[in-house]
Amino acid sequence: MTMLRLRWPAVAAAATLFLAGCGGGGADVQQADKPPGAVSQADIDKAMQTPTELTFWTWVPDIQNEVALFEKKYPAINVNVVNAGQGEPQYTKLRTALRAGSGAPDVVQIEFQYIPTFTITDSLLDLRPYGAEALKDQFVDWTWSQVTGRNGEVWGIPQDTGPMGMLYRKDIFDKHGIQPPKTWDEFAAAARKLHAADPEVYITNLASNQNGAWMGLAWQAGSKPFQMTAADQIRVNANDAASKKLANYWGGLVQEGVVATDPDFTDQWYQALNQGKYATWLTAAWGPVFLSSNAEATSGKWRAAPLPQWTAGENNAGNWGGSTSAVIKTTKNPIAAAKFAEFLNTDPESTRMMAIEQFLFPPTKALLADESFVEQKPEFYGGQQVNEVFARISDTVSTDFGWPPFMDQTVSDWDETVGKSLADKTDVVAGLDQWQQRITSYAESQGFKVAQ
Amino acid sequence: MTTTATATAVRAASGGSAMPGRRRSPLLTLAMLAFLIYFLLPLFWLLVASTKTTGDLFASFGLWFADDFALPGNVRNVFTAEDGVYGRWLLNTAFYSLVSAGGAALLAALGGYGFAKFGFRGNKLLFGVVLGAIMVPSTALAIPTYLIFAQVGLVNTPWAIILPSLVNPFGLYLMRIYAEGAVPDSLLEAARIDGAGEFRIFRQVVLRLLGPGFVTVLLFTLVATWNNYFLPLIMLNNPSLYPVTVGLANWAGQATVAGGSGDVIPLVVTGSLLSIIPLIAAFLLLQRYWQSGLAAGGVKQ
Repeated sequence: MTMLRLRWPAVAAAATLFLAGCGGGGADVQQADKPPGAVSQADIDKAMQTPTELTFWTWVPDIQNEVALFEKKYPAINVNVVNAGQGEPQYTKLRTALRAGSGAPDVVQIEFQYIPTFTITDSLLDLRPYGAEALKDQFVDWTWSQVTGRNGEVWGIPQDTGPMGMLYRKDIFDKHGIQPPKTWDEFAAAARKLHAADPEVYITNLASNQNGAWMGLAWQAGSKPFQMTAADQIRVNANDAASKKLANYWGGLVQEGVVATDPDFTDQWYQALNQGKYATWLTAAWGPVFLSSNAEATSGKWRAAPLPQWTAGENNAGNWGGSTSAVIKTTKNPIAAAKFAEFLNTDPESTRMMAIEQFLFPPTKALLADESFVEQKPEFYGGQQVNEVFARISDTVSTDFGWPPFMDQTVSDWDETVGKSLADKTDVVAGLDQWQQRITSYAESQGFKVAQ
Repeated sequence: MTTTATATAVRAASGGSAMPGRRRSPLLTLAMLAFLIYFLLPLFWLLVASTKTTGDLFASFGLWFADDFALPGNVRNVFTAEDGVYGRWLLNTAFYSLVSAGGAALLAALGGYGFAKFGFRGNKLLFGVVLGAIMVPSTALAIPTYLIFAQVGLVNTPWAIILPSLVNPFGLYLMRIYAEGAVPDSLLEAARIDGAGEFRIFRQVVLRLLGPGFVTVLLFTLVATWNNYFLPLIMLNNPSLYPVTVGLANWAGQATVAGGSGDVIPLVVTGSLLSIIPLIAAFLLLQRYWQSGLAAGGVKQ
């Protein structure tokens, strides 16, 4: 918490400065609309043969193996891999280095939801001049829309994703004669039935500290909480009709006491998963492998299915997690950095390695159709082709979900409003309204024009 | 010497009406016991958890041992993971802490003695500035410090951790108070008459008298630097320079990352246990100095 409080003034100052710099706004935006000049193939060839040092910040374990493939193809380029921390600690370091004007990497792993937070401070390089637009068709539509800026900029290359589905305990459902729910109505009915039959068991745990899962569920419900309409204008609709529907639904189940709200990734939560306290885990495509290494005691009892739907027969999902490789604007070697980000996430051998050896759920159409990937039959899921389930789900994620340019603040406000109402079993819709109000006033204090 | 003197003084002061003070209150004892459990329980959990495998960690009762005793294996894994980087982190932490603590204690002794015994112009004003500096949490200074260090090229070097830790305003304050009471003016005058130079007086006379205060500042800084997370987090990019706090946090992050493995969790738990052992040892060894140091300035002699 101390970290958050201290960091924010710094970011706030940076954002304000940036906005002040834009001043009139209109003229700058006009200029950004022009397609940037492309770098010639001759320049690219030359850069890739010039001895170069790149620094790459990432928290993917053993990514040196993929980096080695790149260095083998381009022996002149040496990539220095640094694990600068996972998620927030890394962003803190990155911001500090960017402000100091030295020490920032050339290429950096950034999660989808944090891209606008770093483009508002003008820290990322538009990859279009380096041929990134041509990569579009290799990626699942929604992943490409996540890395695309308001004026068509390409801010990063998708590395991995987390389309959401439902992992459920087949044995618990069978024992109580419950069919895997296909709609949220069925899910609610199953929640009540299950908890009545066995008060120790909850149909699921909606973690009160997990903004990521909430955003994924809101995404599925069709909410559009954030939309940048100009460099200094944002629409904030965190309590739109779809989000209210979501808050109403979960708030009701939580207040009835048939859904748990324990914080996730804690000792207590791991124990609960192992001991069968939760009959489902509403999670992302990275969840299945994660669960199998953290809940060995329940091997063979789990199955995967798409999320329940709001309307029977529909097929919608949201996304929770996933990262991109982005290039920092201050890099001295933009061509090599951009080509490295491209290679890492499009080279067939590199992407296959990430999917099969590091279990990162792929964003590329090729791998999502690759038999060696989708036809894996893990024992933990009773031989079910879990990757195939999630590969199909990935196609059902909508392309029009956006993120605010001040993600940390949004998340910490969520913890204190919606998250708190879940934990305290109070009115979640009221929590949602508070959240909307806090984001709006924060955005205004940063100089944004806020509309609904 | 000073320890006994202080203890005697305290006993003498409360000695007259000793009897009522000695009566034990069962309620207070119970409350203290509750606090004791409250503080020791997490430690006990850590001890128990580091004897478990990943499976047992999440499947067995948290506050008691599982059937498999996996501690030796866990310890081995901690020191062999990623080519033994944990040992490196531990050595880094020890190096940063010892150098910082020794340096900070020496600087605080010099400064505190100076403030206490030399009436130079601006003494009060400068000491006021020091008092003001105590109010600023060091975490708040981390980012400005980074900006300065980046300009002089000290980022991502051990100096980035050691230099900011050398300055300890609270230590200076403590040493001034302590020096006022512990160093008699007459002794300094006698030494000066005998012809000793000022630095020799400090080294051979004052530093010995300041012993308990010195150890107190040493321990304070040792603990603070040992546990420091935020400063090394933003200052260092090279895993071989990380202290154990940042390294463990990195491992903990890997445990929850997409594609991460639960096998990292026992490493984090066992690594945490191992990382606090040197601190506990330092406390037990230096405890007597620590106690008398805390009482320093409490009694006017």
